[in-house]
Amino acid sequence: MRRTLIITGLWIAAITAAHMMLNVDWGVLINDRLPVGRRKLNVAYIPVT
Amino acid sequence: MFQGFPEIKEALMSNRMQAAFMVAPMAIALRAQGVPVKIVYLGHRYGSAVVVRKNGPIRSFADLRGRVVAIPSRFSDERLIIFKALADNRMNPTDVKLVEMAPPDVAGALAAGAIDAFSMGEPFPSQAEMGGYGRVLFHARKYWPDYISCVLVVRQDVIDSKPEAVQTLVDGIARSGLWLEKGRAHREHAADFVGRYYYRQSPALLRWALTNPIDRVMYEPLSPRRKDFELITRLMRQTGVLDHDIAFEEYVDTRFAEGARNETSWKYEAGAGSSQ
Repeated sequence: MRRTLIITGLWIAAITAAHMMLNVDWGVLINDRLPVGRRKLNVAYIPVT
Repeated sequence: MFQGFPEIKEALMSNRMQAAFMVAPMAIALRAQGVPVKIVYLGHRYGSAVVVRKNGPIRSFADLRGRVVAIPSRFSDERLIIFKALADNRMNPTDVKLVEMAPPDVAGALAAGAIDAFSMGEPFPSQAEMGGYGRVLFHARKYWPDYISCVLVVRQDVIDSKPEAVQTLVDGIARSGLWLEKGRAHREHAADFVGRYYYRQSPALLRWALTNPIDRVMYEPLSPRRKDFELITRLMRQTGVLDHDIAFEEYVDTRFAEGARNETSWKYEAGAGSSQ
């Protein structure tokens, strides 16, 4: 039982870490939390001319 | 990166985005509705086309009578070009049925027969051509010399509080435009880079859009000109998407374009490791 819990916990931690690395844009997340005066401009675009 | 102009509009209004590339009529309509934004520069010139099925029955603009044509938004130059072509061909606005569709969906919709044609910016006309199921009926320049579509819009609070940042952004776009106009090798290099790192599209598709022919999309001159925008507002008024006249100065701030007037191309050769 304990072994199953440890493996499950490690699996969840690994998936969570992979998700955080691959799918979260940390630069944007941090920038959005800076004071307005220190924020970089976010420029929106779509893949079309 | 967004997939449609309405989402960009919402992000700009909510201050999630401080600047955006969007279709010119949408920017003008936002300003006319009191949203504090200004157009500061153009994204490009030309680069829109009306595309029909390659082996379909539509051979001329008149053949579009009674057909379904997809456009990116009712607030788009791609819609206005249809109305301009209708007038030039002595047809009525009700002769075609316009439907709004997200740009990435139109090529598939044409291939599946859900629409008869689409009026859209690149690279979607190129996508239909490369896929072998679409044919350009006409490029926007046929009916609209000096055609413009996407413009750079910036929130007024950013213009007031960070004009130097806006100037840096406009200078960079001006320099990139001049760099792109230096020849095929630069355009091909840009297609490879942008396809991989920004658009997440096939570099081959963007190469087609940027070089077939070489002036399919142009990146100079990009300064907002009064006569171009007065034509757009007149067409918007005529086609019912703008309910009152609006002065050029109310929705365009030309000082950043003037500041970028003497900019020169990036000193970077295609394939080199770094720029100056």
